[in-house]
Amino acid sequence: MTENQKKILEMLAEKKINTDEAYRLLNALDPADSDSKESPKEGKVIGGKAKYLRVTVMPDPERGNAENVDRVNVRVPMNLIRAGIKLTSLIPNEATDKVNEALRDKGINFDVRNVKPEDLEEMILALADLEVDVSSAKGEKVKVFVE
Amino acid sequence: MNRPPLLMRVKIQNTEHKFGLWLPLFLLIPIAVVVFIILSPLILLAVIFFWHKGWGKTALMTPWAAWRVFCATRGLKVDVQNPRDCVLISFV
Repeated sequence: MTENQKKILEMLAEKKINTDEAYRLLNALDPADSDSKESPKEGKVIGGKAKYLRVTVMPDPERGNAENVDRVNVRVPMNLIRAGIKLTSLIPNEATDKVNEALRDKGINFDVRNVKPEDLEEMILALADLEVDVSSAKGEKVKVFVE
Repeated sequence: MNRPPLLMRVKIQNTEHKFGLWLPLFLLIPIAVVVFIILSPLILLAVIFFWHKGWGKTALMTPWAAWRVFCATRGLKVDVQNPRDCVLISFV
């Protein structure tokens, strides 16, 4: 049993995730052990190692107004997200208190100090199955996925 | 940690202007290292001066954190196009 598999089972035992989420995480870790016979679809992470977060906005081919639609293609490396989150550990306590106070003024009851790098790895692992596919009325297809 | 990006590409284009740039980061990194070494005594002085105010650890860890963020930008790509404008920023 690998370390990641053990961690997932511990999270299930502590009821931090339900059985469906544990099953998806275990499959994302090692597709060779999965019972699924589906071939990987676009953006599917292989072996649970998410490398990029992709956001694309493209014209919807069914609408046929490709000339007037903005095209956006953004690819953000996951390591950049990890490095950015780890920067929060450098913020001194006085600055963190001011940030928390500003968040509370906006109605967000969240402590920036609660963001820990180990929690981030769990979140990135869970992002492996993230896929958002939206067709807007303006003739745009918006996709957010991890590859 | 990734190895650092070697090239940065910037392209900004609209109906009136066009700007493109290929920046060889692999040439700028040694220059930045030399500048950092030259400024390191000043940085150390700043760390010692601000240590009791709680910013010393931040000042000490910032160069390493900045280097990690810089290395993590390898593969970053932002490409926005519309009929009038085009913006491309890419780290290779």
